[in-house]
Amino acid sequence: MSADGGLFSEGEFEEAFGDDHPDTSAPPPVAAPSAPQAATPRASPIAFVAQPEKAPTWAEFSEGWALGLYRDPVFVGVFSGLVLGLLGVYVVLRRAVFVTAAVTQAAGLGVALAFLLGIQLELDIPPVVGALVTSLLATVVLGVRTDRLRLPRETLVGLTYLAASALAVLVGDRITQDSHDVSAILFGTAVLVRPGDLTLVATVGSLVVLLLLVMHRGFLFAGFDPESARVHRLPVSLLDLALWVLIAVQASVSTRAIGALPVFAFAVLPAMAALALAQRVRLALALAAVFGATAGGLGYLFAFFLEFPVGASQAVVATLLLLIALPVARVRGR
Amino acid sequence: MSASPGTLLHCRGLRIGYHGVPLLPAIDLEIGPGELWAVIGRNGCGKTTWLRTALGLMPAVSGRIETGPDVKMSYLPQRNVIDELYPLLARDVVRMGLLRGWSFLRPSVRIEPPSVRQALSDMGVGALGDVPYRRLSEGQKQRVLFARLAVSGANIALLDEPTSAMDPVAEAEAFALLDGLRHRQGLAIVVVSHYLGMVRRYADRALLLDRDTQAVVVGPPDEVFEHEAFHRRFSERPPPAAEVDDER
Repeated sequence: MSADGGLFSEGEFEEAFGDDHPDTSAPPPVAAPSAPQAATPRASPIAFVAQPEKAPTWAEFSEGWALGLYRDPVFVGVFSGLVLGLLGVYVVLRRAVFVTAAVTQAAGLGVALAFLLGIQLELDIPPVVGALVTSLLATVVLGVRTDRLRLPRETLVGLTYLAASALAVLVGDRITQDSHDVSAILFGTAVLVRPGDLTLVATVGSLVVLLLLVMHRGFLFAGFDPESARVHRLPVSLLDLALWVLIAVQASVSTRAIGALPVFAFAVLPAMAALALAQRVRLALALAAVFGATAGGLGYLFAFFLEFPVGASQAVVATLLLLIALPVARVRGR
Repeated sequence: MSASPGTLLHCRGLRIGYHGVPLLPAIDLEIGPGELWAVIGRNGCGKTTWLRTALGLMPAVSGRIETGPDVKMSYLPQRNVIDELYPLLARDVVRMGLLRGWSFLRPSVRIEPPSVRQALSDMGVGALGDVPYRRLSEGQKQRVLFARLAVSGANIALLDEPTSAMDPVAEAEAFALLDGLRHRQGLAIVVVSHYLGMVRRYADRALLLDRDTQAVVVGPPDEVFEHEAFHRRFSERPPPAAEVDDER
């Protein structure tokens, strides 16, 4: 059965950890259907293993870390925060924050759809593939020219976000009936991740960072002065597409592993903090990567010891970093 | 299609406009190396549309734009096109001028090319290389962008109202810098400007556009300023050359 109420499909947990793990087979707290967030699992094993009588301790965390239970989700959070933090700098500079929200939400829908198709039609579609397909589809929709429709581009972003959100809730309604919890996908838990998730996030993340480094100067010129870049024969449209595809790919693998909410948070908040502080793009990129990784790692610890949902905790830590950065930037006169 | 030898840009019966509807009569002109052209006209007359069409940023309604062999173009758009949110130093902006085609994929050279420093120095902003671009005054920003043109390896540069936010003195200095650039590098320069005194002083050729009267006049500035279309739209007498700073 699902170990944490949604991140693991049938048999995945046993396959990943075998029998040598704490008893996580107890069902997650039962949630009323009208309040799916209430079912979101907590980082502490106590929340879903035993009755919480006392606050989780460092010893318990160390024990879980030694078993490999918490190491992978922490690293997945750190890697996702780092890569999405880097991507976020380009996203924020392009004034396309909500494009990321729409793409991330579409990735969440893809994960949910993959579960649903597996349950209803017995189609074996890996959730990350579902996420990739729907997020790339979202980038195609977002690339549609709106000038002939006499509508601003933001309307497409709104359409994509709303359609993906609504469909995810509908799909999640069916999944919930089969003991899965779509809120785990949409709001993020990352209490436990599959071993494959860490490998996937690290591999895809490394490739994304490599491509960002290769195309960095092109992204900058195309964003700073797109018309001059076109005159210099830079492939500006292709660069734009490449940026959104990189975001879609990273959002897909990270959403599958940790959920849509922290993914969106990592793609926006660390970059905001970094851009508030830095006077050069390179420094902004470095700071955003550090802030993102910090939010991913610290957010997990925050959730573990205070028994909060992981995804929301990671988003809150990213917000706190931003709230520290803004006055610092103001004092420095930027 | 290639223009004839010695011509960088050739507009043949070029009609500019939007959605297939021409704004102006056909435009015919040839721009050669080292020439300084001024595009003049009232606001909304089609100057920017012509510039963007000539650059290939928007389609022509009809006619042809031919460029010479090995022509490399550069562009300095109106101020609002450039996104000052980007945290870039002045020298970062100049270095962008070195990028062309897919060259951004090449490994970045860690040592700054000497041309970047030289170009900043030539434009009188050599000490501002490490200053964030967005912190510069409007005049300094334009000098940095002129430096970007200088390092770009272009043989023709088109500038859309590069002096629009400058006071008359800074504007005169900017024209002098552009004039020096074309003489040093043989760069052909096409500049949209409302500053008729400087046009008269520096420009070899002028292109007068007027959408309301459907006028297209091409020729040396003195001839254009004597043309009936100019008098109808601007003044009863041509602007005095050079030093008159406030004649717009």
